[in-house]
Amino acid sequence: MSFRSRSSKDPAETCHQVSAAKQVTRRQLFQSCGVGLGKISLASMLASDFAMASGDSGPSASAGDAPGLHFPAKIKRVIYLFMAGAPSQLDLFDHKPELTRLEGKPIPPSVIAGQRYAFIQPDAAVLSPRFSFQRYGQCGAELAETLPHLSKVVDDLAIIRSVHTDQFNHAPAQIFVNTGSPIPGRPAMGSWLSYGIGSDADDLPGFVVLKSGGNLSGGAAMWSNGFLPGQHQGVPFRSAGDPILHVATPQGISRQTQRETLDLVADLNRHRLNDLDVDGIRARIDSYEMAYRMQSRAPELMDFSSESDETLALYGTSREDAGSFAKNCLLARRLAERGVRFIQLYHAGWDHHSNVEGGLRTQCKQTDQGCAALVQDLKRRGMLEDTLVVWGGEFGRTPMVEASAALGRSLGRDHHPQAFTMWMAGGGIRAGQTLGKTDDLGFHPVEDPVHVHDIQATILYLLGIDHERLTFTFAGRPFRLTDVHGHVVEKLVT
Amino acid sequence: MFVCRIGLACLVGQLFLADPSSVRAGESDVDYGRHVRPILAKHCFTCHGPDEDARQAGLRLDQQEDAHADLGGYAAVTPGDPEHSELMVRVTSEDEDLRMPPADADNALSPSQIETLRQWIQSGGQYTRHWAFVPAQKPALPSTRQAGWCRGPIDRFVLKRMEQAGLAPAPEADPETLIRRVYLDLLGLTPTPEEVQRFLDDSHPDAYERLVDRLLASPAYGERFARSWLDLARYSDTNGYEKDRPRTIWPYRDWVIDALNRDLPYDQFSIEQLAGDMLANATREQKIATGFHRNTMLNEEGGIDPLEYRFYALVDRVATTGTVWMGLTTGCAQCHTHKYDPITHSDYYALMALMDNADEPELNADPPDVLERRQSLLEQVRQAEQDLVDRTLFSPQGSADIKDAFGEYCRRQRQQVSRWRTVPPDRLESTKPLLTLQPDGSVLASGDATKRDVYTLTMPPLDGSDPVTAIRIEAMPHRSLPDTGPGLAFYEGRRGDFFLSELKLAAGEAPIDLGIGSTTVAGGGKKNGTTFPGNVLDGDGSTGWSIPQNQDKTQRLVIPLKQPRRLDQPWTIEMLFERHYVAGLGHFRIDVTTDDAPTANALSSDLQQQLVRHQDDEALPDSTRRGLAIAFARTSEMLAGDRKPIEQLRKQIPDPVRTLVMRERPASNQRVTRRHHRGEYLQPKEVVEGGIPSVFGSAASEPAASEAAESGRSDVDQPTNRLELARWLVSRNNPLVGRVTANRAWREFFGAGIVRTSGDFGTQSEPPTHPELIDWLDRWLRDSSPSGGRWSMKRLHRQIVLSATYRQATGAPPSEDPDNRLLSVFPYRRLDAEQIRDAFLSAAGLLSRPIGGPSVYPPQPESVMQMAYGKPGWPTSAGADRFRRSLYTFSKRTAPFAAFTTFDAPSGELCIARRDRSTTPLQALTLLNDAMYLEMAEGVADDAVRQVRSQNPEAGDREIATFLFRKLLVRTPDPAELESIMAFYHSQSDHPEAWMLVARALMNTDEAITAP
Repeated sequence: MSFRSRSSKDPAETCHQVSAAKQVTRRQLFQSCGVGLGKISLASMLASDFAMASGDSGPSASAGDAPGLHFPAKIKRVIYLFMAGAPSQLDLFDHKPELTRLEGKPIPPSVIAGQRYAFIQPDAAVLSPRFSFQRYGQCGAELAETLPHLSKVVDDLAIIRSVHTDQFNHAPAQIFVNTGSPIPGRPAMGSWLSYGIGSDADDLPGFVVLKSGGNLSGGAAMWSNGFLPGQHQGVPFRSAGDPILHVATPQGISRQTQRETLDLVADLNRHRLNDLDVDGIRARIDSYEMAYRMQSRAPELMDFSSESDETLALYGTSREDAGSFAKNCLLARRLAERGVRFIQLYHAGWDHHSNVEGGLRTQCKQTDQGCAALVQDLKRRGMLEDTLVVWGGEFGRTPMVEASAALGRSLGRDHHPQAFTMWMAGGGIRAGQTLGKTDDLGFHPVEDPVHVHDIQATILYLLGIDHERLTFTFAGRPFRLTDVHGHVVEKLVT
Repeated sequence: MFVCRIGLACLVGQLFLADPSSVRAGESDVDYGRHVRPILAKHCFTCHGPDEDARQAGLRLDQQEDAHADLGGYAAVTPGDPEHSELMVRVTSEDEDLRMPPADADNALSPSQIETLRQWIQSGGQYTRHWAFVPAQKPALPSTRQAGWCRGPIDRFVLKRMEQAGLAPAPEADPETLIRRVYLDLLGLTPTPEEVQRFLDDSHPDAYERLVDRLLASPAYGERFARSWLDLARYSDTNGYEKDRPRTIWPYRDWVIDALNRDLPYDQFSIEQLAGDMLANATREQKIATGFHRNTMLNEEGGIDPLEYRFYALVDRVATTGTVWMGLTTGCAQCHTHKYDPITHSDYYALMALMDNADEPELNADPPDVLERRQSLLEQVRQAEQDLVDRTLFSPQGSADIKDAFGEYCRRQRQQVSRWRTVPPDRLESTKPLLTLQPDGSVLASGDATKRDVYTLTMPPLDGSDPVTAIRIEAMPHRSLPDTGPGLAFYEGRRGDFFLSELKLAAGEAPIDLGIGSTTVAGGGKKNGTTFPGNVLDGDGSTGWSIPQNQDKTQRLVIPLKQPRRLDQPWTIEMLFERHYVAGLGHFRIDVTTDDAPTANALSSDLQQQLVRHQDDEALPDSTRRGLAIAFARTSEMLAGDRKPIEQLRKQIPDPVRTLVMRERPASNQRVTRRHHRGEYLQPKEVVEGGIPSVFGSAASEPAASEAAESGRSDVDQPTNRLELARWLVSRNNPLVGRVTANRAWREFFGAGIVRTSGDFGTQSEPPTHPELIDWLDRWLRDSSPSGGRWSMKRLHRQIVLSATYRQATGAPPSEDPDNRLLSVFPYRRLDAEQIRDAFLSAAGLLSRPIGGPSVYPPQPESVMQMAYGKPGWPTSAGADRFRRSLYTFSKRTAPFAAFTTFDAPSGELCIARRDRSTTPLQALTLLNDAMYLEMAEGVADDAVRQVRSQNPEAGDREIATFLFRKLLVRTPDPAELESIMAFYHSQSDHPEAWMLVARALMNTDEAITAP
């Protein structure tokens, strides 16, 4: 989780890491180590550095105001709509009439040579697009009929049809998108952001995780702080009731008793601080105060009575609704309003090995309206300017059909890491464009290929972070989100 | 990922110079290993390094003798004279054609890098060896001014550094602090007020020493230190990745506890975990110990490439071995030659090769009580079955209907059985698994397997004049297979599953036509894609024959030849196994028959043999009749009711405990290890021989050796297999193992290591705060004399906790040493997640003490598992299992126990040499509001009230409050504290459990969760 609280992580270590992340003056290093505060927000430490470098001393360079670690930030926060299971780009975004023509025939050997698949044999027959496509908006983006709501906001989107990844199985591919590595144990993107630029939220974690739909393959590794300090881990929220684990005072303990308990705890801790004068005790006292603030604020966060009927209808949710993707989208907006840096939504249920048509209809029904509403709602509140919304899965799906008697599957599509579609909307995004192109079979990107690491580099760029320079030294070497790869996708950003 | 930032390396170096624990006296400001080598490695070695083929101008900069060599009136490096060093001339040249690195290399040096090189040459340009790669010399014990303070050798080193920095040690902690500290540190528990009182009342001068010895002998000691070791071992009770299903490897965890409690010397402790299976006459326990490297994750997602994830597991094993025994991060070298540390890309795969040649089977680890229980139940079942047939079939009282049915059954079985003859294959080939012929003519598969494997069996010519009418495949269980087989599936599908997609027979080149046969597998109807015998002939790989149920019994598939024929020439059987997971058959036998219309019969082979020996009209021997009677009794509908109690008994038979182990491969099936370009699984290159990193190949030679060995390695003590590697790792030839081990122990007690970057002793690590101490500890640990450490962890821990350094009072570090690196006070640190829970459980008197066994499920909110794949649920333990020590808590990788994660406990996905110790509001929420902790607060409060009242029924609230305080925090509250507590207590007088509220508040104090 990511809080702007102190850590008792030893300061020398922190200094080492800070220095590894960015060259700073020796004087700054000494200052920060000397005060022994424990965790120092990289951004607050380096904000002045940036200001000096850019000659910009305006308000955007002040700490806690998304100052940008390395260059001016275009956005303050990210809402990432992760479509777990991998939606079929060929039936939603990447229209390939050629698949209709070739239906039932195998893919040419030259295309499939050396490819690995999870379930099918590479010579499986082609499956035509399951839906009809139409052009929408001023930009004329092509979408399937199952996305009626998204079709209304296409001019706010940048659709990227040429994303590709290294992984062809769910768990590693999901972890790869979230952490830059397919193997569990690395920090999630949200943790990197919390570490790099902290959070604007005083009474909420800076990195919040919401989930709807079915099974999530990647598990807790996707919001783990990895080797970053513990306060940067993602905190799973529930969309109804008590959002955070243990945020409610237990039954039988009144609010007043809770306050009095905290007062006694603070009293005893201050007594100890007088004796020992150790920074760790100060951090503990702070953490209890913040815990109390979280307890106090949580009910307000979860009180949807302040949302108008019109807003609820826009998302397609209700005050009573619990756990739907639409409700999570609305909660995401509320979290964004309260300064949360990285809001990660997962919606699982896109793994259509069989009956891809029926599966997509169901999932689109569950998610299309929420996605579009989020973009619209942010926009009308003026928040789309400094918020980035990202939509996408962990890989794409094959142009070839999947069918298996033993598994009872027919008319499905297998995993396809070579090409898939994502979209982005919000601050710094060159909206109203469709970027990238795949070949006639939708098999490989042929124009503007965008790797997952490029997506990550671009998100960091929009937040004012150079992905090559946000590093953390662990076990003897510096690590970063994008490993040794990644380029900012220039055509995507303004 | 690799980012070379030389400028900041210097910066960090300078930082440490200014620090009280700065670089050792006598060293120049610029250190070759830390500062210079990284620059040369990144910018120069590509063309002027060890690679002969790439070398330009015949110049090497990676070894001193070449760099200093006279190149005809000049040298690349002229010690002390940067102006006359060609290296400086070239890197500073204004002439683009002369300047190095060449402009087109896009690899320019920064001014600060050039300055670093200049300073280095100025100060002598020496290629020094990084201290940690040089074997420790036993340092003399330093003399100190305040010698009376020292209790042992450790203190002499610590005090010396303090005195050098003008610091003095803190006073000794009071006895209450000391006993709480040493209990928490050695046992992870809180002492009871009685234990505290006994210690306070003990006026012997060696009271503390005797206390320490008592604690070291406690079984709780092994549990406490096992948890730390399990961090390194990345222990977990689940497989990780998507499905994250449970695995059984707790016998390994119990082995660790036991080994620590019996103080198995660390060298042996290491060898058994790395290669216990290869020891002569390896015991079952030594095999269980090899679970250490079976703690790697297993991806069970459908459709994965199993060999890819085996490769990742191996990468993890190399990394973990490097961290634990060498204090080295080898990870970089997976993809390219290490830029900072002298580990080459090839070194990495050589190390991998030493660990690569093992299979990964299960081992039966039934504890004695399980064995006994199973034996007894099996006997009861056998007896009950005999009783049943005696009663119903062989007694005059038995029903005539049933006897008739049995008679009919016997007749039918006798008609149906055919004469089968086992044919051992002449030659066994497969696309991947190793197939070996067993003495009974069956075939056993082992080793690696893929999602699509083909077995090709060459069968001998059969004599005899009758034509063969059918072949039979018997799928048989085997103890070496996953869950005893009969298949090789070890993930995704049922363990031990297989899937025979297609079957082909051929005589020479000519295919033999086969007919749809029969199977003993239930439900083998036409439409069934997984059991219908015709599936193996339909040309569709996605249908096949397998055993969805009752795979613990031999099952049979009979496939008739369309045209019976003699097989008097060599013939072949080809079996295709194709599934979205590994599904080869692990143990099977091939039989043929010449009888007419043979079918698959479920009777045991033995019984079938007996039946065919007798003509149809001949009376059967008693034993055969009995065998048939038991088979009848197990299946007849008429006896379904009578069978119930037997089935109940059978259900009680405990499942075997099968733990994960390593088993060295046979010489006939050595695994070939290849270098992987850029570390990628899909880019295997040349074959690599096993070996330790070349920097260690010539430990005693000059510094240049660190670079030199890339071309050829020393033969001295060069391990060639896993056992030799294990022995090498704990030998004198590994200069790091003693230091790394001592450093880890130091961290356990003082919160930070002598080398803070615990787990990394490479050139980029922080220098040791007490270099002589860490060397002394290294030598002492290895010292096998009576006064030496003899690799005893208990001796090492004893040495530390008896030191005056350890006995100091806690406090704020002096301003001259703000990070307390010189330990002039006892360091403040938060307890680990498990220590916090265990400390409260023991203080509450709730802790249940059985050691070992399957992991347990203390209470946690349901929502934790809601996020996990398949919402697996959390079967909250009842009774005493709610209060087991925390290391027994079921550890699920993708949804770890929330109360532990919040306090920075690892998930078991990586080897962790150093846990973080964060302070967050979620920790506060957990301790305040988690029902698990409320239960403990209630427990400790109830217990305190009960104890105080039983001693003195008249006792007042202040006595209860004081006792409660002592139970949790050991010491007695001072008056101001007691006032605050009483005021709170009185303010809560309306609450039915006001003492619980007091206990809860105390459990939330900083003191309750930090080292005293």
